[in-house]
Amino acid sequence: MAGFRLIDVVKPFLPILPEVEAPFEKVSFDDKLVYTIISALIYIFSQFPLAGVSKEETVVKDPIYFLRGVFGAEPKTLLEFGIFPVFSSGLILQLLAGLKLIKVNFKVQQDRELFQTLTKLVALLQYFILANIFIFSGYYGEDLSIVQIGLLNLQLVGAGFVVILMSEVIDKGFGFASGCMTINTVVIATNLVADTFGFSQIAVGSDGNKEAQGSIINLLQGLRSKHKTFFGGLLSAFNRDYLPNLNTTLIVLAIGASVCYLQSFRLELPIRSTKARGVSNVYPIRLLHVGGLSVAFSYILLFTIHIAAFVVIQLIGKNDPSSIVCKIFGHYESVSNLFYTPTFPLSLLTPPKSLFSGLLQQPLTFFVYTAFMLVTGIWFADVWQGMSGSSARDLALQFKEQDITLTGRREQGVAKELEKVIPVASTTGAALLAILAIVGEFLGLKGKGAGMVVGVATGFSLLELISIDYQQSGGQSALAQVLGAPGRF
Amino acid sequence: MAKVNEKKGAVNPVEKLAEAPVEFVREGSQFLSKCKKPDMKEYTKIIKAVGIGFVAVGIIGYAIKLVHIPIRYLIV
Amino acid sequence: MSTTATPPGGQRTLQKRRQAQNAKDKQLKQTPASSRQAGHGGSSSSILKIYTDEANGLRVDPLVVLFLAVGFIFSVVALHVIAKVTGKIF
Repeated sequence: MAGFRLIDVVKPFLPILPEVEAPFEKVSFDDKLVYTIISALIYIFSQFPLAGVSKEETVVKDPIYFLRGVFGAEPKTLLEFGIFPVFSSGLILQLLAGLKLIKVNFKVQQDRELFQTLTKLVALLQYFILANIFIFSGYYGEDLSIVQIGLLNLQLVGAGFVVILMSEVIDKGFGFASGCMTINTVVIATNLVADTFGFSQIAVGSDGNKEAQGSIINLLQGLRSKHKTFFGGLLSAFNRDYLPNLNTTLIVLAIGASVCYLQSFRLELPIRSTKARGVSNVYPIRLLHVGGLSVAFSYILLFTIHIAAFVVIQLIGKNDPSSIVCKIFGHYESVSNLFYTPTFPLSLLTPPKSLFSGLLQQPLTFFVYTAFMLVTGIWFADVWQGMSGSSARDLALQFKEQDITLTGRREQGVAKELEKVIPVASTTGAALLAILAIVGEFLGLKGKGAGMVVGVATGFSLLELISIDYQQSGGQSALAQVLGAPGRF
Repeated sequence: MAKVNEKKGAVNPVEKLAEAPVEFVREGSQFLSKCKKPDMKEYTKIIKAVGIGFVAVGIIGYAIKLVHIPIRYLIV
Repeated sequence: MSTTATPPGGQRTLQKRRQAQNAKDKQLKQTPASSRQAGHGGSSSSILKIYTDEANGLRVDPLVVLFLAVGFIFSVVALHVIAKVTGKIF
């Protein structure tokens, strides 16, 4: 292990980076629930408008509007980039380490610690870089003063820091399973409720009319409001494109239901104990073996590509269609004064605003975007299932430790049999999830479809772990007794 | 993995590239047909559990978001 | 598993087998691809866990983190208030 290693770079930062203490003793189920919920709620509460942003309308609009739904990012708030840096640094670095592109010996405690610190540092760095890309692109207003730039940096990077630490609190065992995934799921659930039942009034159009954010509330309001006819209200409830409408809500719910259906697909392998005779059972191999991670990975790549393009087009090319840079990479067009949509080369990786406009204006997108999602998703699933510690070989080892074997197989054959099943399950599951996300995006959900896929699939993975936790320690749960539920999970 | 690589060596790479998706779809659909699918009863149970969970968490989250409205109104 | 002149089984074959097995085991164990594969928790197939080991650093209590987070948000609120009271100075 001689030579340069990336993880050694972080050594000087070790003493100054905060590190959440691991719990001394096992945290009880109730405490975990409280920590998890409070962390997630603080995250939602930090979707608070930034101070020091210029009040006038800026020329530069939001270039990543369709990626926000997956990462819990809200424009012009403290969480401009949501949980993306935490998620991406964790996933990408672990992937690189698994592919042996970063040298880490996971058997050594110190290496693991350094690797973890590297992940944290990269996440923080991403917050910093993204914040400054947005500041200098003019997204927060032209001609910001030094003080304003400093304050914006402080707020955006500070919020990122807080998010990193909160996800660390959950990861370390004070909460359930994984910090970034739990928080992400809670945010996606919140957005779903806000888009469906949200009754906060948002000013629409220039004549000062206000409409509810939630589609169902809007329908009820539209039917009773004075400035609209009955049918007008009904039509607008289904068709408005500036806020969530009933169509998108229905599609999102359908996507969620489909993910639920796919989730319960499993191949049940008959197993028996090698010690006790006649004890047999089944071991399920899920179709969604890698859960929502494959779609999340594709979206992390998309996010990176779009940010890189934003740097090239906005910072270097100044979004001027006549400059050379923009002739090669395309430029942005602002749509309904809310967001930027890119033109030709980049538009291939941008889902259309609606199905019809997409078919007419950017038919190639359908092929390129689909191919991108499928290829990246399947590739990720294939690599991840092999390296993440639940590959066929690892499972075979687990079987051996627990004295179980597949019925009709010798112990040596177990790994081979699993090898036939697990990679196929992972890749097929990833492909199906990618297709669901693609269908949603092509119907004009602007990231909500992919967000729902990630949210529900992740929710299932979390639910599984939480229910195991509950069964192990739920007997003493005061909360469960208060709710009077012996376990709905 | 090793098996796949062996195959790759034997066949012309271009042919292999064209075959890969077909092979993938064939293996995938084979797997799907062997899978145990949820029946109606199980499925409704899952949908209910997930629906309740999602909406409950969402409502709590949205309640927090509502707190923002008066604050925004006061300071902006 | 073909043996040449020597009869099958016996000392040498066993030795060879054991060696091959050892080498294989070593190779497998030396380079785990993830912290879970090395037997130390971490990400599983469908869950991404990032911070699982306790590194040497500035130790903080989880409650401190949560209070810090709330404090941070309120400092931003305070910033808004200051901006409003003093009139857009930034």
